[in-house]
Amino acid sequence: MRNLLNFLARYNNLIIFLILEGLSFYFLTSRHTYHNTRVLFGIRGLTFGFEEKISNIHTYLHLRDINKTLAEENTALKNSMQRLIKEDKTPFTSVSDSIYRQQYTHTTSEVIYNSINKQKNFFTINKGNRQGVKPDMAVTSGQGVAGVIVGCSENYSIVMSLLNIDFKVSARIKSNGYFGSISWDGRNYQEAILSEIPQHVMVSVGDTIETTSYSAIFPEGVLVGTVSDFNKIGGDFYKINVLLSTDFKKLQFVDIIGNKKKIEQLDLLKLFQ
Amino acid sequence: MINSIFRYGLIFILLILLQVLLFNNIQFSGYINPYVYVMFILLLPVEIPAWLMLLLSFATGAIIDYFSGSPGIHSSATVLAGFVRPYVLRVISPRDGHESGASPSMLSYGLRWFLTYTVVIIFIHHTALFYLEVFRLTDFFRTLWRVILSSMFSIIFILLIEYYRRGK
Repeated sequence: MRNLLNFLARYNNLIIFLILEGLSFYFLTSRHTYHNTRVLFGIRGLTFGFEEKISNIHTYLHLRDINKTLAEENTALKNSMQRLIKEDKTPFTSVSDSIYRQQYTHTTSEVIYNSINKQKNFFTINKGNRQGVKPDMAVTSGQGVAGVIVGCSENYSIVMSLLNIDFKVSARIKSNGYFGSISWDGRNYQEAILSEIPQHVMVSVGDTIETTSYSAIFPEGVLVGTVSDFNKIGGDFYKINVLLSTDFKKLQFVDIIGNKKKIEQLDLLKLFQ
Repeated sequence: MINSIFRYGLIFILLILLQVLLFNNIQFSGYINPYVYVMFILLLPVEIPAWLMLLLSFATGAIIDYFSGSPGIHSSATVLAGFVRPYVLRVISPRDGHESGASPSMLSYGLRWFLTYTVVIIFIHHTALFYLEVFRLTDFFRTLWRVILSSMFSIIFILLIEYYRRGK
């Protein structure tokens, strides 16, 4: 007993140090609570309203750019609509339910806090549970993939940015359909890495990379970026650098995409696994 | 006593505000992220009891974590900095020892001593911080490069604040 007390008295600082470090590590490593804590932390921080005010000023100053991207997006949408009208003249079924084919729902939202300088970047958007936003919904900017929602409060949501070393999404080369996965290596906010493409596939600089619907998060064919460089690293796969089409440094308005048939798709998959 | 608690409280609040409102919003590059709040740990009095030192470090880190939404990362790095500080102070103590009640600042010990002290503590803190943030050892040297560049900028800003304090 005496020895124990002596020991405690002698090393009390070391013990306090270890307890405090243990507590920090508990917060840091418990993956289960990681995102929840982040939601709590992130959104509490917002109650000061600073981020939202800064973001308002920023948006006002960039209205010209925002209008330009909107106009471009409109043109692209009009073009694809024209194409669809032409192709879609032979209906396969004659169900008159207007909703039967809608798989994805879209909502816009504004980015009120964003970061690109960490290894694990997240951004905050101003829609949450009340507006029907749920975790695991896809987030895109007008130009391409932006992230995935990881947590929601009443009116805000935290989005794991594509610029996060834990982010991973299935993507393919548009021209030949070979798929791999997109992740960020933490180096450059304009580039991501497409891996798992076998070396016999023809790849060339400038090829378009788009998402697949395999994960049931992103719709098929959302632009990710274009190939900027590729090389063979040992093994059988390419390491392809993709120039991202989304400019994360001026992310302002994003589209939240919910998948209505997600549960159906995943449940079916579960049956056979 | 009361006076110095008040003074440290003020320094604490100012540094936290500076970090959260200014330095956390500099989205310059992934390589340059200065963390000047560690200056609070640097400036605490020399004879502060080690347990209080550790608790204050933890509190500082936890508050920064709270505002940057990074559970545990800043608090563990700052607790480490608080833990090594007494040893660093012992190793690089000035020739005639520390004056009682002195704060280890540039005003009391001069630029050269303060620079050595700051470099050691900031480097330890930033190393812990950046490796914990990445939490993997791939890209070891790139993380090291981020540690070095960010440390340089943190040290520059801390010296500027120190000069400003001396000027007043």
